[in-house]
Amino acid sequence: MRIRKLKSLLCATALVAVSGHAGAGEFDGVTLQAKLIGGQQYEALYARIGEWEAKTGAKVDVISKKNHFELDKEFKSDLAAGTLGWCVGSNHSSFASQYPSLYTDLTPYLTAEFIGEYVPSNIAASKIGDALVMLPRAQFDVSALYYLKSIYEDEDNKAAYKAKTGRELAPPDTWDEYKEQAIFFTDAPNFYGTQYAGKDEAIVGRFYELVISEGGQLFNDDWSPAFNSDAGKRALGWFVDLYEAGAVPPGTTSYLWDDLGQGFASGTIALNLDWPGWAGFFNGEDSSKAAGNVGVKVQPAGSAGVRTGWSGHHGFSVTEACENKEAAASLVAWLTNEDSQKLESSAGPLPTRTAVWDHVVSSAEGDAYRTEVLKAFQAAASHAFPAPQTPYWIEATNLIYPELQAAILGDKSIDEALGDAQEAVDEMMQENGVY
Amino acid sequence: MSRFRPPPWLVLLLPAIIILTAVVMIPLLLSLYSSFTPYRLTRPETLYKWIGTFNYEKAMKSAHFWAAFGRTILLLTIALNLEMLMGLGLALLVNKVTYGQRALRTVMMFPMMFSPILVGFQFKFIFNDNVGLVNNALQSLGLSNVAIPWLVDGQLAFTAILVAEMWSSTSVFAILILAGLFAVPRDPIEAAKVDGCTPWQSFRHITLPYIMPFIYIALAIRSLDVARAYDIVQIMTNGGPARRTELLWTLIGRTGYVDAKMGYANAMGYISIFLAIFFTIYFFRKLNAARSELGMAG
Repeated sequence: MRIRKLKSLLCATALVAVSGHAGAGEFDGVTLQAKLIGGQQYEALYARIGEWEAKTGAKVDVISKKNHFELDKEFKSDLAAGTLGWCVGSNHSSFASQYPSLYTDLTPYLTAEFIGEYVPSNIAASKIGDALVMLPRAQFDVSALYYLKSIYEDEDNKAAYKAKTGRELAPPDTWDEYKEQAIFFTDAPNFYGTQYAGKDEAIVGRFYELVISEGGQLFNDDWSPAFNSDAGKRALGWFVDLYEAGAVPPGTTSYLWDDLGQGFASGTIALNLDWPGWAGFFNGEDSSKAAGNVGVKVQPAGSAGVRTGWSGHHGFSVTEACENKEAAASLVAWLTNEDSQKLESSAGPLPTRTAVWDHVVSSAEGDAYRTEVLKAFQAAASHAFPAPQTPYWIEATNLIYPELQAAILGDKSIDEALGDAQEAVDEMMQENGVY
Repeated sequence: MSRFRPPPWLVLLLPAIIILTAVVMIPLLLSLYSSFTPYRLTRPETLYKWIGTFNYEKAMKSAHFWAAFGRTILLLTIALNLEMLMGLGLALLVNKVTYGQRALRTVMMFPMMFSPILVGFQFKFIFNDNVGLVNNALQSLGLSNVAIPWLVDGQLAFTAILVAEMWSSTSVFAILILAGLFAVPRDPIEAAKVDGCTPWQSFRHITLPYIMPFIYIALAIRSLDVARAYDIVQIMTNGGPARRTELLWTLIGRTGYVDAKMGYANAMGYISIFLAIFFTIYFFRKLNAARSELGMAG
């Protein structure tokens, strides 16, 4: 009798835990150490940690707060030194596959129903193999097209474009049109047609999604490189043509996301493929010269009819070495539950739960710009795909991006650059015993 | 039964031996060992797999490694020579100043007080092609109507890095050479004047030999500094674009900490250390030669 009571008590506890709404005092005396991504925009969510502590009796000790690149180095050092006593870590879908042994599978600690409340493509991108290594938070990223409305309303532009191409001037729907319009709008050095991220993972990510949109792929099923293909050459040609035509700022090969954001906000860039987090900044009177003049549209498609859609999302994970995985999973579920995602997405970032998407779209009614942004990004999200799920993704990007730059700057031909990059990645994969 | 009593010299040296072993020897041996393994930070078990000289062979065969090696030597050579000439000029000028010399010496040391990371950010902004000071100044003065890609063009980026290095470190030379100038005795210079030597002759045959040991000390210190140049380059160009400004330590740093291939990074590091050792030996030989010329060799 006593055993049956104990069993039912345990079951009830488990049920409450998996639902993400832990019961009072359930984790009394438990202290969880956490390493979280830092930044002002994330603090509102972290304020909810106090509510979870009050509900469960557990304590959360945040022992590190850094950006993802710094956290990445810290996680690698932790793995090397074996200092894995902490329990909860911020994670990102582009980084997750690098730490195959660091994080535990969350599936045993959550109900299928709870997991089913997230957008399926986000859950798929949160897995390594079958293991659900993180729960996605409302920090979903996919790029859509931002453009300056005024240049499309300008009568002289319309007439000149029609005379040049025979087509009406409208925001582009294909990457060829995008390139053509970027060159058309350029009036260097004061005004450029577009810009792109030019180094590190950023340019390889953009190249990756263009290869997909051209009907190719970056890797074969066995993870051997596959980008030295016709699709890969067309994709790299897009970058090279824009640079050669002077339609991008000459320093674009050293630009990263912040430079791009500031560039578009300066009002000197016509077309900009960028992330949802910039939507408010671009239209802010204090932050942007483009305020009131920003249009947003679903990202263009490549020659294969496929739209680009390299995406990533933030999440929270629980370490394999954590002594209180139930408590940690409960915290992670709490930080990504419906209320948490409503709170985070109210500031602009995109959610990863179906119900929260409906909520943000309906709550934007009456705000024309916000509605345009959300509709564009909802459409963009439907074409999203994650970064290649290999632990060697970042290492591969470090081999690929200097070659892409070499082609863009004219040091190598497109064929040479892709050939060299493919050879380097192939050697790296073989060295790592991938095949 | 007699107990073992260590000799007093060993007891006295033991704390130093223990500290040196823990702080220097063990990490050094561990890193040397790891350079013979495929050690990846994210896969601790790889530390126990012996692969012989594979990493060294790979580095020796790598065109990227040797390009970075060559570029580091080029930067080292140009930066050291220019810094030495400018530092010498600066020191000679300051030495002539009779009023406010102390204030000038303090001002001269300002660049040394900035963290190299901040110097990197400062010059990255100055040389930015779109919003940078240099391009804006050139365009405002009507000297250029294009955005010069300072940090993109290989030679311009190299120059930009060189300027940043020189701005931050020329004063090292100036201060050390100034100290040398203070130590030059007045008698031989006055005797030379009486004998009718030109200012150039007294500088070339009297002042310069006296300050040569100081110059070689400054060269030895700065050669080690530039040979491990990382921070300014990392911030300004990160070795790019297209590896145009890749130096040894930006390459090694990325391999070790971003790609997590610590074994390979350590192998490259050990090969590079020879560069530092070579320059140190070279400059210390020169220093000793200069000292013996002055009759100071011990």
